[in-house]
Order: sequence, then structure tokens, then C-alpha cells
Amino acid sequence: MAKHYLRFTLFQRILHVLLFTSVLGLVTTGMPLFFNQSGWAFWIAHTMGGFGVMGFFHRLFGTTMLSVFTVHMVLILRRVVIGREYRLLWGPDSMVPQPKDFVQLFQNIRYFIGLGPAPRFDRFTYWEKFDYWAVVWGMGIIGGTGLILWFHDFFSRIFPGWFFNVAILVHGEEALLASGFLFAVHFFNTHIRPEKFPIDLVIFTGRVSGHEMIEERPEQYQRLVREGKLEKFETTPPPMWLKNLGRIVGAIAVTIGLTLFVLILYAFLRA
Amino acid sequence: MMQQGRHDLVERTLKPLLQLFCIGLAFTGVLLLLSPCIADAEDLPTKEVCLACHGDSDMTRSAPRPGRSNSLFVNEEVMQKSAHASVECASCHKIKTIPHNVPVAPVRCGSCHDKEQTALHDGVHGSTRAGTRVPVTACADCHGTHDVMRTLSLGIDICAKCHSKEVADYRTSVHGKSRMKGDNEAATCRSCHGTTHSILSKTDERSWTYPLNLPKTCAQCHSDPELARRHNIPIANVYELYIDSIHGRALTQSGLLVTATCSSCHGNHAILPPSDPKSRVNRANIPETCGGCHAGILTTYRESIHGKKFAEGNTKAPICIDCHTTHEIRRVAEEEWKAGVVKQCGTCHAESLAAYRDTFHGQVSALGFTRVARCSDCHGSHNILPKSDSRSMVNPANRMNTCRKCHKTANANFALYDPHPDPHNRDRNPALYYAAKFMTWLLIGVFGFFGVHNGLWAIRMVIGRRGHTQPPLPPGTGDSADLNGKEMDEEKDDG
Repeated sequence: MAKHYLRFTLFQRILHVLLFTSVLGLVTTGMPLFFNQSGWAFWIAHTMGGFGVMGFFHRLFGTTMLSVFTVHMVLILRRVVIGREYRLLWGPDSMVPQPKDFVQLFQNIRYFIGLGPAPRFDRFTYWEKFDYWAVVWGMGIIGGTGLILWFHDFFSRIFPGWFFNVAILVHGEEALLASGFLFAVHFFNTHIRPEKFPIDLVIFTGRVSGHEMIEERPEQYQRLVREGKLEKFETTPPPMWLKNLGRIVGAIAVTIGLTLFVLILYAFLRA
Repeated sequence: MMQQGRHDLVERTLKPLLQLFCIGLAFTGVLLLLSPCIADAEDLPTKEVCLACHGDSDMTRSAPRPGRSNSLFVNEEVMQKSAHASVECASCHKIKTIPHNVPVAPVRCGSCHDKEQTALHDGVHGSTRAGTRVPVTACADCHGTHDVMRTLSLGIDICAKCHSKEVADYRTSVHGKSRMKGDNEAATCRSCHGTTHSILSKTDERSWTYPLNLPKTCAQCHSDPELARRHNIPIANVYELYIDSIHGRALTQSGLLVTATCSSCHGNHAILPPSDPKSRVNRANIPETCGGCHAGILTTYRESIHGKKFAEGNTKAPICIDCHTTHEIRRVAEEEWKAGVVKQCGTCHAESLAAYRDTFHGQVSALGFTRVARCSDCHGSHNILPKSDSRSMVNPANRMNTCRKCHKTANANFALYDPHPDPHNRDRNPALYYAAKFMTWLLIGVFGFFGVHNGLWAIRMVIGRRGHTQPPLPPGTGDSADLNGKEMDEEKDDG
């Protein structure tokens, strides 16, 4: 039996499933409005059962996404404030960009063009941190403007009417950015690149093998060995059913995402 | 015995023959007796006898009769050319004696032309004048008397004897002009009014020109795409379009007499092509034509900016048909029409439409859903006024109330919303301008960076897979060989 180490807790994995489900739902129900001149937009809107249904599900998925966001933020805050886990704010366990990340970005580009060795990554690579902050930023901006547009009656007591013009523009453009980033950049970085193709199951199983860890995150492995903490993360290999479930759910999600990406790209280039 | 035998022979053979002869004789006698009843009851005077007196051109009746010529002259030459050349005078003029000083019974054409007579009595021409028993039209009014014409030679001039205005109008019409040019397919009186004798009043529900039947009458020709092609008529399926329209449905489903039929817009006798400035369906005359029924709308329209521009001679200013179309006019509550009319506004107001499409209202309506504000919800429809007009729905003083039509709790703040925002106009909404700028650069920045980054990565992966160089593990970080061996076990699990 190969040794396996826990990378994502069950709760984190559940949050990720909820997050990408809601994102796929939001893009499917929202993009037809953004690309309203496209044939597929008309088709989706009418197949779904009209803009009332579309709006209902958009708000439902939006609520789900904001709930995930809130739960995540509350948990992080609790760990930092009550649990005093300040390592979440700085260091290798933190999502906060470190000077090392900028160095590794530089090293990686150097590696891409064949002028140096690949950087030795720790627990989180710089592009994973970018993914994370893109989602935090995106949820803040899209969620915030979404709420303003949803409860426009209430917010019109605070903001002047032209603010809603800004809100809908930002909501749509940011959604375009987010969906384009997720379905092209995130999918490529995480799932579709040859090493991982067609899907990196770690987000479903939560486990990485020791070999994977050494190959991808030598710095983390080395650090954990040095600190004697590696055994703390040791866990059972992922059961077959979980891997298969991950493959099925992942394949569906990636397919939907890529389909939406193609549709968006098509409409964007035609516009 | 012999004699007895001969007697029997006579008895048996001659007697029946004799009987047959007698019956035949009696039958002939009866026929002879009845013959005056079948043919002429009396020994009728021949044409020559009649013309002996009536051939005199000076012959007049003793007492003048109002409204009739006093002359009793019959021109033999005319008679010889008529359809009745071989008919005896007495066949029509039931005279008893010669000379005949008692009033002569009127000529009854129906005694021979029974079918036509019945048809005529059924129709408007055979109906009696109010208060009298005299028919509106006698046979002679169209067919003449002694110069009775063959049916085929009867032309529109006959109709013009009474219906001079209608015929004059017809002669100016597209139908009349085509006829005159020798087009045998162009409609004549009979094409629309029905077969000659049984022409019915347009108020008779059996009439071809009764409002409920009129579209079908026109469709005799105007539902034939081939005919339309032959005559360069631009709309070939006009009947289909009409019958499905709000006007057509009012006719076929609601049975409304007041609905617009073909003639309501095109006129009846004086139908002119739309290119003719005098045509009721010429662009310049359309508001008046529609206003013939929709009078209230016309008044409002004339007050509107569009109506005023149109009256000033701007032919591009929208008129009824630009939004409502012509034959296929839809119910304004129909979703398809409501979504489509927005595009119509955009044919002139292209920038406003493009900007509207960037709002929630515009996005939802573009997908074909109309429960959101469309142009007319804020600007009005027939009553569109410039926003400087204090009565305008989009006048700053009225905007909040306009928003409140849908957004019940809209306040003054809410009404500052821009229904057609322009992100490129810094003065109109600076926040929007900078937000749009920021978003554009953010998109370009992120996709530009990751485009290059991932592009290089992809190239590296292709090259890297060829040369497959592992980053070396730093010394003293566990046994990589051991882990590699274990990975193979894992692969087995996997499979």
C-alpha cells in the first residue's frame, strides 16, 4: 500500500462541490442574459422555462454560493481568532501571497522557456493562490453586486439609481472574467494539463499519494518530514467508489464548464 | 264455316287496328285543340303586321306617360341585329286585338328567361323600390328593349348607367386601368359583386361584398402567388396574412362587422396602388386611413413627436404600419409582437437600443420575454413626447411615476437609474465609465497574463514530455526510490 496524505478535509471537499455546482448553475442561468443576442442564449432561456425560472435558479445558486463563501470565511475567522492559528495568515499554510510566490512565478516562467529548473512548490502554488483569491474577489464583487441588483428596492434607499447601472455592468463583466478564468485557466492548470488529464481527483478524494506529493510539492514534503508532521497527515488510500464518484462528478462538471466556455467564446467573438 | 272464319279474321285483326286509329285520331284532335294554348292562343300577328304601324318613325302614343318616351316606333334595323331577331313581337307583347287601344300588358321577360328572373328577384336589382312594387331595375334597363344585347356584349357602361360614380372611380383604379390595358385578369364589377342577376346588397349577409365575406371575395385572386407574380404584386400571401391578423380574427372568430376588411383600408372601387399619392394606403395617407376607425389613436398620434415630424413631411417618422405592420397586424398583447416592436424602435434609435440591451430590461426582452420594461413602457406608444415636454413620461418630473408603473416602491433615487447607459460617455455617468474601463483592463490583464503563462506552460509540457526531466530531489528528503516503487502498487489498485 502506497502511503497517502490528506490534502483536503471532507468538509472542504463538500464546499468545493457546492461551489462549483453553484458556479455552473449561475453561469448557465446568467450568461444567456449577457449574451442575449446569441441563438444558444435564446434556446437555454426558453428550454429552462422562461426568465422567471431562470431568475429563480440564478438566485438559488447565488444563495448557495454566498452561503459557501460565508461558511468558509466564518471558519477561517474562527480558526484565526479563536483557534489562534496565525499560520493561516502567513507562512506555507497561508493562502496569503508570500514573497516566495513571486519568486516561484519568475522561476516557473524561466523553467517554461527552458532557462532553469522547475521551482519547488510548497503546500500551495502561486497559481492555486491566484485561483483562491480570484474566487474570493469574484464572490465578493459578483455576490455583492448580485445582492444589490436582487434587492434593488432596498438598495435604492442607499444608492442613487445610476449605481445599478454600474452594478449590472460589473456583475456581468466580472462573471465573464470568472467563468472564462475557471473554465480555461483553472481547468487547464488543475485538470486538463497532461499530468492530470482528464481530472485531478484530489479535490474529490482529498488524498495525495506520497509520490505525487514529492513530485508536485517537494518543499511541503521536505518541510513536513523535517518538522516530523508528515505522519499526522497520513491516511488510507482513497476507496475505489470515491475515485469513481469523483471521476463521474468531475467529468460532468468539466464537460458542462467547457461547453459553457465554448458558447461564451463563440458569442464573445461574434459580438 | 268459311264466312264464319273470315268474320273471325276481321274481328281479330282489323278491329284492334281500327280502335288504334280512332284513339290516334282523337289524340291528334285533342292536340290540335290544345295547340293554341301551347303555342299562340290566338292567331298572332307576325312582325310584318306589327311593323306596318310601328315601323313608322312618327308613331306616338295617344297620351304621354311620365318618364317614358312617347314614341311607339320600332326600328326594324336595330331589331334585326339584336339577340331577339328571330323572336316575334307578340311573343313578348301580349296583345289581344289589333289595333290595341286598351293598355297593353307589360312585357314579362321571365316568361322565357325564368331562371334569370328568379335570380334577379332574389338580388338587389330585382328588389322593389321603397313604397312601390316597381323593381329597382327592369331587365330592359341593362339589356335594352328591341336592341336586346347578347350577354357577352354587355359591358361596364351598362353598370355606369346607374352607378356612374362607382364606375368612374373604378376606371381610375388599379383594376380598371389594368383592364383598359387589356389585362383580362383584372377585377371587373362582376368579379366582386357576383353573377349578374343575383347581385346582392352589401348589407345582405349572402353578398360577396358583405364585410364578413369580402376578404374571401378579394382572395379569389389575391391568394394566388402565381397571379401575384404575373402582376408584380409584392405581397403574394396577403389573404393568409390578413386572416391570421387581429382584423382577420375579429372577422372569422368574433364575427365583427366593424373590423377592418380589405376595403376598409384599400377602398372599394377606387383601389389605387400604394405608390399613388392619392391611394388610401400611400405612406402619406396611412395615419388617416387607420384613423378612420382608430380615431382616438390618431388624435393622440398627431400630438406625439412622431406624428408631428410626419406631418412636417418627414416620411421616415414612424407611422401605424411601421410598428403594427400592414396585413399581419398582431394583437399588441402578443409576446412575439411585444418583443419584436423593440427592434422596430431600434431601426432609428439604434444607439438607444444598443444601450438598452446592456440593461436587465433589454437583456430579458432580447430573449423574448416581455414582462420587463420595453420602449413603450417608459416612452409611451402613440403618445411619445420629447423628454423636454412636461407631459412626457420621461420628463424628469414624471420619471418616478413612470418607474412606479412596475416598481411600486420606486423613489426619487431609484428614478436616477439610466435605462440606456453609455459606458463610453464619461459625463453621463463617470462611475460607469471608470468601472467599464477598469473591468476591461482587468479582463485583458488576467487573460493576457494567463494566456502567456499557460501558453508557455503548454509548450514546456510538450517539450518536457519528450525529454522528461524530473526536478532533482534535495538530498536527505526521504527515499524517492522507495516511493516510486510504491507508486506502482498504487497503479495496480487503480486499475
